[in-house]
Amino acid sequence: MDIQFIGENLLPGKLGQFFIILSFCSALLATISYFFATINSHGDTFQKQSVIGWQRIARTAFSLNLLSVVGIGSCLFYIIYNHLFEYHYAWAHSSKTLPVYYIISSFWEGQEGSFWLWTFWQGVLGSVIVLRGKTWENSVMTTIMLSQAFIASMLVGVELFGQRIGSSPFILLRDAVPGPIFSRPDYLTLITDGNGLNPLLQNYWMVIHPPTLFLGFASMIVPFAYGIGGLWERRYSEWIKPALPWSLFAVMILGTGIIMGSFWAYEALNFGGFWAWDPVENASIIPWLTLIAAVHVLIAYKNSGHSYFTATFLVLISFVLVLYASFLTRSGILGETSVHAFTDLGMFWHLVSYVGVFFILMIVLLVIRRKEMPITQKDEETYSREFWLFIGALVLSVACIQILATTSVPVFNAIFGTEIAPPPDVIQHYNKWQVPFAVVIAFISAFSQYLKYKKTDPRKFFISIAISLVLALFITAATVYITKVYTNFMYIILTYAAVFSILANAKILGDAFKGKWRLAGSAVAHIGFAFLLIGALIAAATNNIISVNNTGIGFGDEFAKSNNPRENIILYKDEPVKMDRYTVTYKGDSTEGVNTYYRINYQVIDTANGKVKENFDLYPNAQQNVKMKQIIASPDTRHYLFHDIYTHVSSVPLKEEDHEDHEGHSDDENYEKPVNHEVNVGDTVRFRDGFIAVKGINRDARIQNIPVSDQDIAIGMQLEINSNGKTYNSEPIYLLKGGSKFDFGKTVEEAGLKLRFTNVFPDKDKLELMVYQKPKAERTWVVLKAIEFPYINFFWGGTIIMVVGFLLSIFRRNKELKTA
Amino acid sequence: MKKSSIAGMIIIAIAIGVIISTYADSSTYGSFSDARQTESELHVVGQLNKEKELFYNPTQDANYFSFYLKDNDGKECKVVFSGSKPQDFERSEQIVLTGKMIGNEFHASKILMKCPSKYTKDEVEVTEVSATTAKI
Repeated sequence: MDIQFIGENLLPGKLGQFFIILSFCSALLATISYFFATINSHGDTFQKQSVIGWQRIARTAFSLNLLSVVGIGSCLFYIIYNHLFEYHYAWAHSSKTLPVYYIISSFWEGQEGSFWLWTFWQGVLGSVIVLRGKTWENSVMTTIMLSQAFIASMLVGVELFGQRIGSSPFILLRDAVPGPIFSRPDYLTLITDGNGLNPLLQNYWMVIHPPTLFLGFASMIVPFAYGIGGLWERRYSEWIKPALPWSLFAVMILGTGIIMGSFWAYEALNFGGFWAWDPVENASIIPWLTLIAAVHVLIAYKNSGHSYFTATFLVLISFVLVLYASFLTRSGILGETSVHAFTDLGMFWHLVSYVGVFFILMIVLLVIRRKEMPITQKDEETYSREFWLFIGALVLSVACIQILATTSVPVFNAIFGTEIAPPPDVIQHYNKWQVPFAVVIAFISAFSQYLKYKKTDPRKFFISIAISLVLALFITAATVYITKVYTNFMYIILTYAAVFSILANAKILGDAFKGKWRLAGSAVAHIGFAFLLIGALIAAATNNIISVNNTGIGFGDEFAKSNNPRENIILYKDEPVKMDRYTVTYKGDSTEGVNTYYRINYQVIDTANGKVKENFDLYPNAQQNVKMKQIIASPDTRHYLFHDIYTHVSSVPLKEEDHEDHEGHSDDENYEKPVNHEVNVGDTVRFRDGFIAVKGINRDARIQNIPVSDQDIAIGMQLEINSNGKTYNSEPIYLLKGGSKFDFGKTVEEAGLKLRFTNVFPDKDKLELMVYQKPKAERTWVVLKAIEFPYINFFWGGTIIMVVGFLLSIFRRNKELKTA
Repeated sequence: MKKSSIAGMIIIAIAIGVIISTYADSSTYGSFSDARQTESELHVVGQLNKEKELFYNPTQDANYFSFYLKDNDGKECKVVFSGSKPQDFERSEQIVLTGKMIGNEFHASKILMKCPSKYTKDEVEVTEVSATTAKI
């Protein structure tokens, strides 16, 4: 029997699902039509009419695809924005309390939303090709639409031959999750709120980082599609020119996206750093590095005719690596090596096929066309730019192979059934290899700028770089001394290489201002890259945990010996602790919504005169979840020009759940043993936090709901309580009714007191006052970890400079495209 | 021979070296009994024994956390971690430890947890069920 469910809004989901099917079909149709448009425009089969016909169908299908992609997004946004929790996606990723900008980030928290982002950007880029691609439209769009069809299929979520294909964001909660409540027609009234967005993702970087990253991923397909088109249509050299600005664009956007992610990790995660060599991070940086290598050999080929195969191969493999990255992060294969990867949504083989199809496409074309490719047999000159561009690209590729090899360990395990674990110290493992590679790349990025294409006079070349080489020596010495990285020989070499690169490229930039503007873009990008290297090196090598705890007690020397450094320190409220040059005090906490902010005061006190030189508060926060007995902490950072102080709480006392009074417990259990006082008007009674003054007697006290007859006596004792400088009033009541004594105590919550007026001694002219005090609150504390990151701004600043450099290069290459 | 081919060959040689070294650097997954037999660090996969005590008392030592883990062979061992208790620890389904045996304790240098995160958990938390079912 079908149940009629109440309150469901099924229209947006049905509409969305329709758009998904439409986007898949239209993408497929566009692929096929563009395919025929491309083959019909060549050789014997050339028929102008049929090319135009196919192209018309293809363009219509493409427009339909773009429309349906926008439709999917609108429906999904409508569902999340209106909190339609009958949909699993809205229920799983959002909640009613989320502000609008986080509703946007909850949109792409799940795999489905991030696939949508990808397909959306791919559609946008596709429309640029349709409008501006001219003779390249047909072949390039064939590849792009094939990829578009693949992504759409990931969202379909229908069962085919007993196998679910893709995962739809429009699946209903009652279909996705089994539960007895779904047999009730009014189940929606029981689901009051969604699961909410992971607090770690509630960060402004998470609003813009995924769109940027996915624009980067999506734009990687354009150079790939040009490469495929070039080989397919035998336009071997022609494709390089339009592909070059697109490659630069992809490199720029993907680089920005990666660094944004790194900044988010730095700001919101408790890694204690900006780069942790996590497999998810590696997966996105590998294609970025290979495409950068590709850009350099593309330029080399364009100017000298050398390295054609390397250039083509690198362009093509970069996009395959993007797909491989999405396979790694989305298939659940990284389960045991990364905390960040998605869990498997049952799309393992689907993702494998996506990677496989594009990889096979690339290999097949390279093999078929191998004889026709314009590969020169001439030898390069050693003193030529093309030779060193080629070497630089190769070194970058090897650096990638190293990252790829370690990151792919789980894939090897899955294929060969082995059980290899990643290295115990991952960061050290990567740095051991990546530092030397970085040194070589920094050197090449500097001196190759002084080499000419074809042939350079070695004497002139050495003279021109000599000044930079020598000057770099002094600057390196100074830098290494100031930043204290002299402990490691490789670090000194890397600093030298980076400084040399900055100087050499600065000289090129200087010439650019004098009119030789052509190299300005690359000079700026190289300077940015060199700064980034220095920043990363210094911050990573010398970051200093300042919350070192030297007071570990109770577990024996053996434990302390093998476990240095002890990175967490406990701070009691209002008890200053000396940490490095800071005097740090935990001042208290305040709760705002679900977050509790811990106010940590930092002071730098001049030892000579005791004056406070610096004084600031940091507010690391933690979300407490009382039911699950856990906290989710986010750090707070003080940014200086030359260093950052990064602080987060690793542990806090868990707040007790407020339990209501229940039978069998008397209220008095919450108090210490009471103290009896015999008092009279005008007397004062002391208690721990202050004193109580007996102000007067109210002989006409009234008690709610209890009638007081003439024979009964009801007296109120008027009290003024002074606790920690604050004054409260209270009036406990004493009742003599029908010969029995009663008393009605009053509590003063703010002062932690309960007061009872329990007896009257007419003979002594005294009144009895019972004072209950709450036990003294336990000292509150936080466990804190604080890290100092020196010179981290070189890293961020270098990134920005590098992006500017890419932008300049894009302008230049675009201009060449138009003048050509 | 072309210079670029020579360079290419050198690079390929380095690449092979890199890959070999990756596997030389890598460690192994093992059990606690494997850990007893080796000096080097290894990875142990297992589940938290939720019945035994998780000890973390920051007022005593903010850098000492201990718990009991059952490895995949079903063997149990006390694990000591010098640091604060990781967030969400109790709810972990699976734990991957990196570390080595010291005496009868496994000293972990890294803990990686797989949690059925609140945010992906497919289990509907229903509020006020008892109040409403009473009507039916």
